Amino acid sequence: MAELAIGEGHCFHCAEALPAQPVRVEVDGEPRAFCCDGCSAAAVWIREARLTDYYQLRREAADRVGTERADYAAWDREDVVADHARTLDDGSREITVLTDGMRCAACAWLIDKALRREAGIEDIVANAVTGRVRIRWQPQATPLSRPLSRMAALGYRPYLATGLVREEARRRERNRWILRMGIAGLGAMQAMMFAEALYLDTAGEMSPATRDFFRWITFLVATPVVFYSGWPFLEGMWRELRHRRLGMDTLIATSTLLALGASVIETVRHGVHVWYDAAVMFVFLLLAARMIEQGARKAASAQVDALARARPLLATRETGGDDEAGREQVLVSQLQPGDIVRVAPGEPVPSDGELLQAGAFDEALLTGESTPVPKRAGEPVFAGSLVIDVPARLRVTHTGAQTRLSELARLVDQAQAERPRMAQLADRIAHRFVVLLLVSALLVYVGWRIYDPARAFEVTLAVLVVSCPCALSLAIPSALAAAHGALSKIGVLGVREDALDRLAAVDTVVFDKTGTLTDGQPRINHVEVMQGLSQASAIDIAQALERDSRHPLARAFQAWPATRRLQASGVRQVPGQGIEGEIDGRRWKLGQAAFAAQGALDEGHALWLGDGERVHARFVLAERVREDAGSAVHALRDAGLAVELASGDGDAAVAAMARGLDIPRHAARQTPEDKLARVRALQAAGHRVAMIGDGINDAPVLAGADVSLAMGEGAALAQRAADFVVTGSRLVRIPQAIAIARRTRAVIRQNLGWATAYNLVALPLAATGHVTPWMAALGMALSSLLVTLNALRLTKVPTE
Amino acid sequence: MNILLALIPISLVLLGIAVAAFVWAVKRGQFDDMDTPALDILRDDPNDPRIPSHRAAPGPSGDAD
Repeated sequence: MAELAIGEGHCFHCAEALPAQPVRVEVDGEPRAFCCDGCSAAAVWIREARLTDYYQLRREAADRVGTERADYAAWDREDVVADHARTLDDGSREITVLTDGMRCAACAWLIDKALRREAGIEDIVANAVTGRVRIRWQPQATPLSRPLSRMAALGYRPYLATGLVREEARRRERNRWILRMGIAGLGAMQAMMFAEALYLDTAGEMSPATRDFFRWITFLVATPVVFYSGWPFLEGMWRELRHRRLGMDTLIATSTLLALGASVIETVRHGVHVWYDAAVMFVFLLLAARMIEQGARKAASAQVDALARARPLLATRETGGDDEAGREQVLVSQLQPGDIVRVAPGEPVPSDGELLQAGAFDEALLTGESTPVPKRAGEPVFAGSLVIDVPARLRVTHTGAQTRLSELARLVDQAQAERPRMAQLADRIAHRFVVLLLVSALLVYVGWRIYDPARAFEVTLAVLVVSCPCALSLAIPSALAAAHGALSKIGVLGVREDALDRLAAVDTVVFDKTGTLTDGQPRINHVEVMQGLSQASAIDIAQALERDSRHPLARAFQAWPATRRLQASGVRQVPGQGIEGEIDGRRWKLGQAAFAAQGALDEGHALWLGDGERVHARFVLAERVREDAGSAVHALRDAGLAVELASGDGDAAVAAMARGLDIPRHAARQTPEDKLARVRALQAAGHRVAMIGDGINDAPVLAGADVSLAMGEGAALAQRAADFVVTGSRLVRIPQAIAIARRTRAVIRQNLGWATAYNLVALPLAATGHVTPWMAALGMALSSLLVTLNALRLTKVPTE
Repeated sequence: MNILLALIPISLVLLGIAVAAFVWAVKRGQFDDMDTPALDILRDDPNDPRIPSHRAAPGPSGDAD
């Protein structure tokens, strides 16, 4: 297994770019650099626990652990976990939690090994595909918060899952699928062994009694496979028949029932051939294909689940009085409009409210942009935004489903429901084929009734068996399963069923800028100095002021190489405006223009350094373009796609980026409505548009485009609106995904073409009575095999 | 051909046992986690004294597993 290579200048644990003063710790005799104390602590703990194999086993870098320590004491309260944990007979308790950092099997392995070391833990089941961890613990021996804090310290933050009832149902459903699969496998193997005996009797020496005995035994083994394991297809056919719409399930169920039914008839009337083995083989193969395809999509939705659940459990409510006694911790669901709530820095706001004191908020969950938004008293704040700098006090206005966050989620769902669904290729073909098959079988039967009544039944059976739509029904599912597998290997998760087909058809790609082509983290582009201050000392002063700040913009300064370490004293955050402190006896202010100096005009995306009177320096901020943005754009254009850039930012920034990346068409200052209108205009001109975005401001256009991809680091709501989620930060995966989608379409066409051609040759031969039963069986098996092998070509992952 | 009368029932019984064992395994949650056990095999036993790097390494803090 290839070890994940961490480049120079990147954190050993999470592979993020190192800041100017990285944390250096020795791990296994080698000096390693880390981006933060959290990552180094995790690596040290992993070494102490002798789990360093994690670094060899993993295939994806871990999440940044960070230095903020969340408090999981709330999880020890009975009312918080009431609907999520259950007590087992021996007094131990069990809970299923969601976590967001599990990227590959090694993560699940690490969680498993790490938590088992905690006292009082009885069992751990971590599943990287579903993003869930099941913990069984002894309440007497340990509070639940202990193992959860351990998980969080390794970078896997736990969230409440969907609740006990739904989690149980989910598990039962999964187990039922595995049972179906296993029984189909065992039954198919045994049925084929019995069938083998019949096939090997080429000279027809077996006595009719023995032969019939074998046939009945095979029937006994095949029937549970068709009816128990194949139940999802039978159920699907029933559903499709009720809606008077013949689809893929009808095709699959018809072919298995046909093979089984024809065999039973042949067994009863001592005919020449039976096809039990074919029936069980199709059930097994189709079940496997469906499981792989669904598995890939479930992994995608689990990812979205975990992010959407990043909301607080408890809120601090004021009950009167200004001291500690006048506050209580209540469940977020118990908050009422009118309550006064306090939120600590770094915590998410629990519900929509009206701000009582000025503060700054990170609305990344809503907008996807991590630049903090300053707010004055009386302004509205929204659930899900993070409090920066100082504690916030707010009066609750809307809770639960009335919050802006829930409203946006509903809007996205609505936009999706209104998107015209492309009629599915598979269903269309299935419909025609089933009708054609039944009509031709009827015609053949009637024809032979007139011509030679004695052979009518036999020939009709041969027609049905030889044209058995098995190859046709395997053609699409097997290709989809292989393609979804390949996509999830490169980290592109398909959320919606028919998205692959739409991705293959696109001819235009529209990118968002912030957070999509760039990584969304602010960076100092250049420094303008005034009043005789040198550039180096301006940076030194700013770094000294921002050193201990948790403000997102502070990271921009921390990443800048320092020349001289200055000490700042009396550093004070002024919410929403900036930071001030004293350095070498002088007072410095860093922040918005009006805060840093009198009469300075705010323009562009910049931070100002001043002494309160005059401006001394101006730090112009920019975002860092993702490393592979250029090559991704090139690859897309090489694939014959038109690339466009649409951003909410100003003209200069957008034009510069478009020039840098060689994107000919770009539009600046685009509102979400403008972006949607642009996509609609392209669609009206006959283009198929793929939209790539990350923020909630992109959600409407993501839902409106023909196919949409959301960046995995972006807003959870944007991911709900998208068809694909691109995990990690590599943009090159987008042209690769389009290439896979196009190859999938080509393979599906080849498969369908083969299946059609086969039927075109076989059907007339069978209808004229030239096909013997063994020829029918062989043709059926070979064409299915060919189709499956062709689909397996898709599992090859493109190299970069 | 009389041997068939013995062999076929035996094969059916074996099939029955295999199915029962599989059902038991699924019910006991053996398939809940399909990824991590595969990785366990790739990992050296941390307490194996024959591997030199482990002999020299300091003991894990506090707990012994």
